[in-house]
Parts: sequence; C-alpha cells; structure tokens
Amino acid sequence: MALFVAGLSHKNAPVALREQLAVEDDKLRELLGDIQRDGVLPEVVVLSTCNRVEVYGVADAPAEARALAFRHLCRYRGLDFSAVESVLYTHLDAEAVRHAFRVAASLDSMMIGEPQILGQVKDAFALAQACETVGPQLHTLFSQAFGVAKRVRTETEIARHAVSVSFAAVELAKKIFAGLARRAVLLVGAGKMSELAAKHLVEQGAFPVYVTNRTWARAQDLARALSGTAVRWEDMETALAGVDIVVTSTGAPEPVVKTAAVARVMHGRRGRPLFFIDIAVPRDVEPGVDGLQDVYRYDIDDLKQVVDANLRERAREAQRAETLVEREVGKYLTRQGDVEVIPTIVSLRARLEEIRLGEVTRTLSRLPDATPETRAAIDALSTAMINKILHAPISKLRESSRAGASRSWREAVHELFGLGRRS
Amino acid sequence: MHPSLINPAVVGYICAMGLALAYLVQRHELVHRLAVLATLAAWAAHTVALIVRAVELGAPPLGSLPDAISVAVWVIVLVEVMIEQRSGLRVLSAFVLPIVVLLSLKATTSRPANLAPVLASAWIWIHIALAMVGFAAFVFNFVGAIMYLLQERQLKIKRPGAFYYRLPALETLDRLTFRTLALGFPFLTVGLLLGAIWARTAWGSALAFDPLAFFSLVAWIIYAGNLAGRAAAGWHGRRAAYFAIVGFAALVLTLGAGLFLPGRHGS
Repeated sequence: MALFVAGLSHKNAPVALREQLAVEDDKLRELLGDIQRDGVLPEVVVLSTCNRVEVYGVADAPAEARALAFRHLCRYRGLDFSAVESVLYTHLDAEAVRHAFRVAASLDSMMIGEPQILGQVKDAFALAQACETVGPQLHTLFSQAFGVAKRVRTETEIARHAVSVSFAAVELAKKIFAGLARRAVLLVGAGKMSELAAKHLVEQGAFPVYVTNRTWARAQDLARALSGTAVRWEDMETALAGVDIVVTSTGAPEPVVKTAAVARVMHGRRGRPLFFIDIAVPRDVEPGVDGLQDVYRYDIDDLKQVVDANLRERAREAQRAETLVEREVGKYLTRQGDVEVIPTIVSLRARLEEIRLGEVTRTLSRLPDATPETRAAIDALSTAMINKILHAPISKLRESSRAGASRSWREAVHELFGLGRRS
Repeated sequence: MHPSLINPAVVGYICAMGLALAYLVQRHELVHRLAVLATLAAWAAHTVALIVRAVELGAPPLGSLPDAISVAVWVIVLVEVMIEQRSGLRVLSAFVLPIVVLLSLKATTSRPANLAPVLASAWIWIHIALAMVGFAAFVFNFVGAIMYLLQERQLKIKRPGAFYYRLPALETLDRLTFRTLALGFPFLTVGLLLGAIWARTAWGSALAFDPLAFFSLVAWIIYAGNLAGRAAAGWHGRRAAYFAIVGFAALVLTLGAGLFLPGRHGS
C-alpha cells in the first residue's frame, strides 16, 4: 500500500481549468462513495478549493487509483480526462507527506500564510470521515498535518504581517499607539476604502468615529453606517485637534489637510501623536506634515511599500516554516515506518514462539524424569536462541522501513518464514 | 565580584547577550528560551558570587566602585527579567544585556580597593545602594530612549526594517523612558545628597572636588532638566529621548571618573 497525492493547483493549472474541476460538498460526498465502490482506493480524501483540487489516497497501484479518481471527477464536471491528465502532479510516500504538511501549513498557497486553507483541509478531512473513506493511514497523515500547521502558525510569523493596504494601516497605528482602544478616528471624505480602514480600526477598539465630507448628507450617511458622528467640513481643524487617527479619501484635486493647519493643531496636543492614513489619489494630506514632530503620514504608496516589506518578512518566515515541515516529515516517516513493519515483526515472533513451544513440549514429554530446574533451563535456552536469531531480522526490518524501503524486506521475511498471506 | 565566580556569571551574561541578539535577528522561540535560561543561570551565579564577596568582606559588597557596579548589574538583570516577564517586551534583553556585559567586564577586571576606615558607616552603604539603584533605572531609561529613536525613525522614513517589526509602539517606549526617569531620579537625588552630607562630615566640605561627584552632579542636572521638561513643558518623544541619552553619557563619565581618575571614590 502506498500513500499518494495527485491533483492540480494554482502552481500548474490555470484558473479556467481549476474552476471546471472544483466540486462542492454534496457532490463530493457522492464522488467519495463512487471512488470507494471501485475498491481500488481503500482510503481517500478529496480536497477541492478554488486554488487546488487534490486526491489524497492509499492504494496498491497509485497510478491506476489516480486515473480512477480523476475520471470520476471529470465525469461529474463533464470534462475529458485526457485534458486534465497532462497537468496532474503525483507525489508518493514521503513526497506525499511533505505535500500534505505544506498545503495544511499554507506554504503551498498562492498567498503564503493565508489562514483559510487549514480550515478547508479540515473540512475535506471531516467530509471524508463522514463518508467513511478515511482509514488509519490518512487519519494519521491528516492529524499530523493539522499539528504541523498549528506549529507553523505559532512558531513562525508567516501569517502575522498584513498583506492588504488597510490592514497594514492598522498595524502601523499599533506601532505608534500602545493599543487602539478608545483612539478617536476622523474620516475625511466618504470613500469605500476609507470606510474599510475605519471598520478595521473600530474592530480593534478605536472609538469614537467622526466623519466629515464636503457634502453634509454623505457625511451623515457614513457616520450613521459606522455609528459615528458627522462633522461639518468647516470644522475639520477642530476635529483634527481631538482625534488620533485620520483616514482621508476625498476626490479633491488639491490636498485638503494643509501643513499649516496640522502645525497649529499639533501645538495644543502636548505630544499626542497624529497618524494620517491618506488613501486618496491625488493625495489629501500635504507631504509637508512629515516635517512635524509626532505626525506620521502614510499615503497609498507608503502603505504599499509597507505591504511589500511585510511580504518579504513573510517569505523569510516561510523559509523557517519549510525547515520545520521538513523536520516533521522526517519524524512522521520514522514513526510510520515502524508501524508499517510491526505486523510483520509480531507474526514473525508468534511463528517462532509457536515452533519453540512445540519443540519444548515434545522434548519434555520424552524426559519424564526431568527436574523443574532442567525444565526451566530448557525453556530459557530455547527462548534465548529465538531472541538471538530474531535480533538481526527485526533490526533490519526497522531500519529498512525508516529508509522507506521495507516492502521487499517484509515480503522476504514472510516468504522465508512462511508467515502466510501478508495483510 | 568574587574572582573564583567571575567566570560563570560573566560568561553566562555573554552567552545570554549573544542569544538575545540572535533572537533579535531571527525570532526563534527556542533561542529566546535559551537566552532567558542563560540570563537566569548567570544571575544565579552572580547572586552566589555577591554573597561570597559579602561574607569575605564582612560587609555589603558596596565598599568599592567595582563591587558597587557589580551590585548594580545584579539589579539591572533582575529588573530586565521582571519587565520582560510582565510586559512581554522580549527584545529588551538584546538592548540591556550588552550594557550588562560591558559593566560586568569592567567590574571584574578592576581591582576593588577596600573602603577607607574613615568612610565605614551605615550612611555610606545607603549612599552607594541608592546611587546604584538609580543607575540601574537610568540604564532602562537609556535603552528605552534608544528603542524609541529607532522605532520613530522607522516610522518616519516609512521603510519598515527589522526594528519596525520587533520593537513595540512608540507610546509604550515613551512611557518606559518616562517611568524609568521618574523612578531613577529620586534615588539619584537622595544618593547624591547623602554623599554630599557624608563628604562634609568626613572631609569638612560637601563640595570638595572629586571627579565622580562632579560628573554625577552634571548627570543629575541633565536628568532634573529632562524631568522638569517632561512634567511642566510637555517634553516627550525625541527630545526626551535625546536628553535621556545625554544624561546616561554623563553617568558613564561618572563611573569612568570613579574607575580611572584619582579621587575619593576610587582606586
């Protein structure tokens, strides 16, 4: 039995193909049933997201099993298997384990570190469990994969830094202010982007929210939507004096927040920092405010630069995550390896013990006068011999399984000792 | 510090510093844990060394400047571990431990002179102990200021680098420098006053020229200015950080004067 994963992902297949293969849950249920009925795949999990369609399985003949699973899939979506076959990748054994771990840990994602994939893998696994297509091998594989994903999330910063402009702005605010709870926010202009940024800030505890706009009605509308307070356009400077974070996104052709006004405002703030998030193009805040102390101004390009830096930081962390995954794959194989040869070892021991007991009984029946000491000595002698004989083959089996090549050794042992049909 | 125990403590601090700096570069959970362990182990060795020294002297190990610096280092490490535990400010050790290492190397390589009999009095111990606690607080004041300036610069130039990710919010750092200033200043003040009073009794003049006393007065004036500016004029952030650095420079000169120049404090 070999573990394998076969499929296609954003790395090798265009969205046009991926979307044609993606299957929703209730269809997936049927599909799993159909695949299992064929009897080629005793264990199977199908993962279908917008970025990947993959079959995880255990089979004697992985190539055959792969073709079978994807034929079913194609049939469901009315596709020609030959069109799909050319882009399918297949990973076997150790490679399959590595792939499963990397996918769950979001290292194979389009956006490395994105949090959704782990949930999707968990759902796919739960669905397969519900359909009873999960056996011991896939059960171990997936529970380990979830553990690895969790370690990667907690021990590396792969998912920590914002990769969207609005979240990057929130993170910047947190590097200026010690927490965003009860920080006042002023929205200048009523754009969609500024609304989004304001929502993120409010989620982090920012309060209250003021909204100002050239059109009084728009200001009132948005204020209502954000449970904030509308401020008259003429009163913007007064509002600036009292808030901590300003989000601007007007369509004005000229800056609406002037350096001179900010300088005046800063005078009365006694060092309270003021953070401008300027999402407007053309910009709403005069770049001159950068020269003022305690004023931090990030325009859309600055925010993009922060996002780029965050992506680089994520990539660095991904390197660490890869090392971690590699270690876990090694551990998994070591453990798995032993599991693979344990039935052989058990039946080998049982076989020899059976022979030993038979011979000891026969010998003792011919020695009716033997003292209890003699009987004990014969018993000990035979046991010691069995153990000595078994030592080398058992070590060899364990060793070979750790090297991932136990199959031929297992078969040889079964043949040589007449252990009957291998399970 | 007791010579036979110099190595464990100092070597421990050096290891801890290396690990703390490594953690700053590559945030690895294990590295952080090892750094904390090394710090605690070194601190334990240091504690034993101080006790041995006290038994040997039959008095608190504060009678000479190297001994006193050693005690200050002991306090600094204790406070550093406590702040890190309480606030989760894990990068603090990367900034504090280099200072700890420099100070403890200095303390172990200088030969401690014994206290002149004329000075032996309970007041002198209090004078030294207070001055050292004040000094420990100002180490954190200095470190907070450095971290503030680094983070402030990152935010102003808008190119996030390693420090942007690792350092806490500006407000947090400004608060750290303010609190350590407010904490250290009374200790320094009372410590200096006791010194002056003692000098008057021992030598007949509170202002008898002594290099250490002179520089410590300079440091006191700088810190007093910083505290007054913060309290009355709303100083904060960069300006307060610059003052913290200048004040600490004066304190370093104070120690240097005590260690290298002839005077009543040193060898």
